[in-house]
Amino acid sequence: MTTKKWLQMGQYAAILLTTMLLGGCARHSPWWIFDPKGVGARASYDYMMIDIAVMLSIVGLTAIMIVWFMIRYRKGGGGGKYDGKWSHSMTIEFFTWGIPIAAVAFLSWAVAINGSFALNPYNPTVITHTMKPKGDPVDVDVIATDWQWLFIYPQFHHIAVANELVVPAHTPVFFKLTSTAVTTDFFVPQLVGMIDVMPGMRTKDALEVDHRGSYQGIAADYCGAGTSWMLFKTKVVSMRDFHRWVKTAEAQPETMNYHQFNEFARPYINVHYKTPIYGHVEPGLFNHVILEVMNGKKWPLPMFMTENMYAYLQKQAKEHRA
Amino acid sequence: MLVHVPGPWSPLLGRLALSEIPYKNLILAPLFVLIVLVGLALVGWITKRGLWGYLWREWFTTVDHKKLGIMYIFLGLVMLFRGFIDGLMIRTQQMLAVGPGDNGIKAMGAIHGYLTPFHFGQIYSAHGLIMILLAATPLLVGLMNIIVPLQIGARDMAFPYLNALGFWITAAGAALIMISLFVGDFSHNGWFGYAPIFEMSYSPGVGVDYWIWTLELIALGTTLGSINFLATVVKMRAPGMTWGRLPVFTWSAVSANIIALTSFPCLQVALALVGADRYLGTHFFTAGFGGNLMLYTNLFWLWGHPEVYFVILPAFGMLGEIIPTFSEKPLFGYVAMVLATFAIAGVSWIVWLHHFFTMGMGPYVSTEFSVATMLVGIPTGVKVFNWAFTMYRGRISYTAAMHWALGALFLLLIGGLTGMMLSIPAINYMVHNSVFVVAHFHMMLLCIVYAVFGAVIYWWPKVFGFRLNEAWGKIMFWLFSAGTALVFIPMFMLGFMGETRRLDWPFDPHWAGLFDVQEFGIAIYVLSVVSFVVLLFVSIRDRAKERVGADAWGTSRSLEWLTDSPVPFYNFAMVPEINARDEVAWRREHGFLDIRPDHYKAIHMPNNTPVALYIGATLFLLGFALTWRIWWLSGIALLATVALMIWRSAKGDPGYVISAEEIARLDREARQKMPVDGGDTVPVGGFAGGQIMAYSREVSDQDRSHRGPKSW
Repeated sequence: MTTKKWLQMGQYAAILLTTMLLGGCARHSPWWIFDPKGVGARASYDYMMIDIAVMLSIVGLTAIMIVWFMIRYRKGGGGGKYDGKWSHSMTIEFFTWGIPIAAVAFLSWAVAINGSFALNPYNPTVITHTMKPKGDPVDVDVIATDWQWLFIYPQFHHIAVANELVVPAHTPVFFKLTSTAVTTDFFVPQLVGMIDVMPGMRTKDALEVDHRGSYQGIAADYCGAGTSWMLFKTKVVSMRDFHRWVKTAEAQPETMNYHQFNEFARPYINVHYKTPIYGHVEPGLFNHVILEVMNGKKWPLPMFMTENMYAYLQKQAKEHRA
Repeated sequence: MLVHVPGPWSPLLGRLALSEIPYKNLILAPLFVLIVLVGLALVGWITKRGLWGYLWREWFTTVDHKKLGIMYIFLGLVMLFRGFIDGLMIRTQQMLAVGPGDNGIKAMGAIHGYLTPFHFGQIYSAHGLIMILLAATPLLVGLMNIIVPLQIGARDMAFPYLNALGFWITAAGAALIMISLFVGDFSHNGWFGYAPIFEMSYSPGVGVDYWIWTLELIALGTTLGSINFLATVVKMRAPGMTWGRLPVFTWSAVSANIIALTSFPCLQVALALVGADRYLGTHFFTAGFGGNLMLYTNLFWLWGHPEVYFVILPAFGMLGEIIPTFSEKPLFGYVAMVLATFAIAGVSWIVWLHHFFTMGMGPYVSTEFSVATMLVGIPTGVKVFNWAFTMYRGRISYTAAMHWALGALFLLLIGGLTGMMLSIPAINYMVHNSVFVVAHFHMMLLCIVYAVFGAVIYWWPKVFGFRLNEAWGKIMFWLFSAGTALVFIPMFMLGFMGETRRLDWPFDPHWAGLFDVQEFGIAIYVLSVVSFVVLLFVSIRDRAKERVGADAWGTSRSLEWLTDSPVPFYNFAMVPEINARDEVAWRREHGFLDIRPDHYKAIHMPNNTPVALYIGATLFLLGFALTWRIWWLSGIALLATVALMIWRSAKGDPGYVISAEEIARLDREARQKMPVDGGDTVPVGGFAGGQIMAYSREVSDQDRSHRGPKSW
């Protein structure tokens, strides 16, 4: 290969690298963690940057120091003075302990302690402290099944939607979360960090978004064969659009009581992205599910779903077409 | 009382049936045929060469700590290869499956890629379990097994039979996980096991049972080993080997085994409770009936995090031996280094909760565990600085071993940087359970792998008497490092792109390019595996040229370099008297490196025994029978194990004595075979006198064993 070709390849590499770095600024960035759109996710991002700055300054300098030692004190040619006896210095020891202690002390206070309170999922002060007095928070009850999400809006006629979350922008949204069968994580990378959803237990989380748009939600913890498909789109709309959506949802004929929920919660892989809307679910369904699970209710995995997935998926496709 | 299992069960075969053998699987069936053919060829070759007697006498029944160490390392390398193949399959699946649409290979029952979700789950679970407990742990235990007794001037471990027992029980665990490839399936819910997926309702197959008994066996083997190490270092040190003179690797082995001894029982209890849930129908970790699934997660990580330090501390110890040797300088800040080791070990018990910050435990608890986790950064930082200042004012020669050690150092820097990010809840919420975490802990575990490869190259001449080929060692290093960069830099990037762990179908097409880069990295890794085989082949072929004397590197420092290479079965013809922290460096400096004993004493050695192997076999049967719920076989295997234990305890081992004349002859012969080391050679007996002693003046080993080490 000629030098010219190498140069050309170097150029391509440089362009590729720049594009990837600039990707962080693009509007529809694939770098979800670097492109936060929610209040909580942005706070996490800021804390991350503080932490990276502090740590990189230490680790980077250490790496440079090591490389310099490696070059200067190499055998035959480095030019560094050899002293085969030297193995201790109180001054250096002071810094080798002092620098990590100072860094850990600073990060503990600035990021670990402050961040834990600012982003406490049960009461994230970044959201709750800035709430306007007339702010009208939206409550959402989240039930994770094997392998679907059900989002219930108790303030709005107990409407519910599966596998799709619709929330208004500029409004705090408070979640209560539980699961029917196994544990997973509720996670919308650009909006809010992960929180465990566990069967027979209730966790909480909160969300506030400044930018309208559609964001990918993920079941972030392995919960069985359908984990990868257990996705939900989070649609952030204006308050007016949200109320309009609520109206259409309330008009849906589909309803759900505990008995129907039992059917819904059976193991199901949502390959076809079904997002059914329920005009009304049984009030208190969320607590009802927790109580049933605490009393031993299970939705066991049938044996056939542990083996040939294609047979199962073909069966589901047939049902879907019907 | 016993839990009703879904599917057929018969009293004779339990859940075992022909349909449990995946002979229709397009990956496993050819692999099975291949393994059977290779196995038959191996058996045929051994039979033809008439090696069965040799293998039985010298290896299978041995209680020699060096041979057991070699077998541990062999087991670790084989399982490292198996784990690597699992990793290759994971990467290939994600590369093939990424993106929207139905791109699966239908013949294999997959809707995306070539693996079903359930099969994919088994592969990463096996990958994690094997890499941590059957690759890293045996490699480190093996190296500790070989080096620790040599570094403290002991004849063997304190309990040689227990040592063999620990190895064979670990091997039984390895056999159990290997057989799960071809009989039934393995657990699909992660190497650490998610509660409550491992309950019968959500994992109806035998996979989780395999997982339980594999882990139980390995945990038992490692616990037994840790007792042995601690007893050895406390009671078997040569005269003059005070705690202040203990080599750093031995210090790290002490701290690691304190961790193992105190934390592994926690794992065994947690898994026994999981077993109770699955076999007896209890409700320890179920969601309902008062069970508490987070209790399992707590118990597991209460062991799991100390386990992380159990594997990293010996690796740190290896760096502490390799870097000074090739910098031709003593380790900088020995006392600080030992303190840092124990600080890490101490903190390891109070950080486990950072594995699940997302549980929602509230800011006070989060903060405590976050700060505790960050505290680990202080002693680790001290260690990095101390290694750096060991090189400062040194005379560094870049041997293959030094390449690996420095590579480990840089991986540790990256792992530390990302670890400090993960230790903070506010950041952790965004990257927990993402592949960023996966990339982080691979940095740390690869730091161990680098240290282990460095240590294998570094200590190889001590064990086998010849050096490994330097050029191929370096080629392997650069290939391996290129693979590491190409696999894990994209993985960090994917973490920032929001990819979560364990996706059999990565749904975002934006990730596709990076998956391709990772697959390319895996290809480079394959080349490095090939170069490792070449390294072994070339080195063994050219072994006559690379023969070394006792001090293989000419700049070695600690006591193991005093005895012959390869080490005779009795380790030291006479127990050396320790005069300094870096004993060999001290003797070289004062010109008594080549002093041989002027008189010899009789040595008391333990007899070989096949009982450890038998107990390993019966425990394997027990694990297999329990997995398949074959109750009669479980009962027989358990009875056989207990009977063997009682029989062996009642019989005991009187050992045998090698006479002083025999030792003198063996020592003379070993010396004649060994080339003279380069550098200054000094005539026998040319030492200054005074307080200095080269060899212990004690009458015999039996007397010494009653007295213990000379000073504390």
